[in-house]
Amino acid sequence: MALKVFSIPALPRVNNSAGRILPVATTLFAALISVLPIHIPGYAALTPVFTLMAAYHWTIYRPDLLPPLALFAIGLTEDLLAGSPIGINALLLLLSRSAVLGYRRYFVNRTFPFVWTGFTLLTVVALFGLWAVHCILDLGLFDFRNTVIRAALTIAIFPLASFLLGRAQRAVMGTG
Amino acid sequence: MNWLSPQARAAIQRTMLPILVLLSAAVVVLGKADQLLFDSMRTAVTDAVAPILDAFSRPLAAAGSVIDNVQMLVNTYQENARLETENARLLQWQQTALNLSADNQKLRSLLKAVPENSVSYVTARVIANSGGAYVRTVLIDAGAEDRVARGQAAITGEGLVGRLTEVGNRAARVLLITDLNSRIPVTIENSHVNAVLAGDNSERPRLLYLPSPDAVKIGDRVVTSGEGGIFPPGLPVGVVSAIDAGGPRIEPYVELSQVGYLLVVDYGLSRSLPQPVPVTAKTSKRKAPAEDDAATR
Repeated sequence: MALKVFSIPALPRVNNSAGRILPVATTLFAALISVLPIHIPGYAALTPVFTLMAAYHWTIYRPDLLPPLALFAIGLTEDLLAGSPIGINALLLLLSRSAVLGYRRYFVNRTFPFVWTGFTLLTVVALFGLWAVHCILDLGLFDFRNTVIRAALTIAIFPLASFLLGRAQRAVMGTG
Repeated sequence: MNWLSPQARAAIQRTMLPILVLLSAAVVVLGKADQLLFDSMRTAVTDAVAPILDAFSRPLAAAGSVIDNVQMLVNTYQENARLETENARLLQWQQTALNLSADNQKLRSLLKAVPENSVSYVTARVIANSGGAYVRTVLIDAGAEDRVARGQAAITGEGLVGRLTEVGNRAARVLLITDLNSRIPVTIENSHVNAVLAGDNSERPRLLYLPSPDAVKIGDRVVTSGEGGIFPPGLPVGVVSAIDAGGPRIEPYVELSQVGYLLVVDYGLSRSLPQPVPVTAKTSKRKAPAEDDAATR
């Protein structure tokens, strides 16, 4: 497990408090919408990983405003609400941050397809890892198809999430 | 953290991520080893967030009912024709049922049978589900304040949904019959063969411990057997829908992903559910409750 630490470059200071809490607020919001009961058959098992989208977006654009402690708290909250093994989403979000920070400079100020490709790689690795961890914890093999569909849905919805987060970022922080 | 020197702040920033990663991993392992360790934390967070989830899920339920209404409008003609035939059929059944009910009463009076347990209901709304492929639970907006208790059955008009596993003050978690950890004693209605309905996170749970593989056939009704004393006997669960290499699978009567409201039913049986005890094999350092009692006496 490469836990290399990358220093966060100095980013333009955000002067309004709404802007400073935006990354944490939107990621927490993502955790909440991922447990909402949407009455579509089979949806619950395939719920896209909304928190991963928010964590990825903010780790690229404003890693300073979504610190590890916030990711840890949000991941834990999601675990407690969803009834999943506690700590597992916190681990997922923190490892994702660690992975993304390392390659951050390749994504900043690049065109969207670049960013999307990065997210695709992250999602595939993260969801496969999640599947493996659950298999180990429950000492059994889970149906892999759900994971594949979930990854596909997450990747497919990311452009919309990224657009909305970018819009919110520009509107509230005035940068982006 | 402004009182800290920039170097100190940078050092904290650098070490925070690896420390929290290790902490999360430790929490995952601890939570697995002792499932009850974080139970109170879980109910506390669930209770705190329940009003927010409640507010969020309301418009979704409304949107769902709008879609349902439109669908109904589209299908009115066929639906009406279908209902008329069904009504004719049900009227015949009603006659049969009335006859049987009269017979039943006469026979019961002969037997001096005890009337069935009175039950109390609490209606609750589903406010959250478990997003993800690895758990099948829902949160409902009823808790200890509504006199809901652990172990009670959650049902809808169609049949069994699951049972309550965690109860907070304002919210409770229902373990669905499709969850990997769900085991429900059931009976095949036609053959009176007992089995255990085991969820495996798929839409269709499996029947385990059947005496012989040909004890069931596709289309058999499966109801709770009442063994173990958690559910009353005879609650409809589902029908046998497929028999594959892993054994028979049943299609639950309740469309679990569509449940908006459910009933929490107190059959007066949940007291027989043992309180959660840590897995003894893994926590051998702890005394068994009986030993504890003896030691304090």
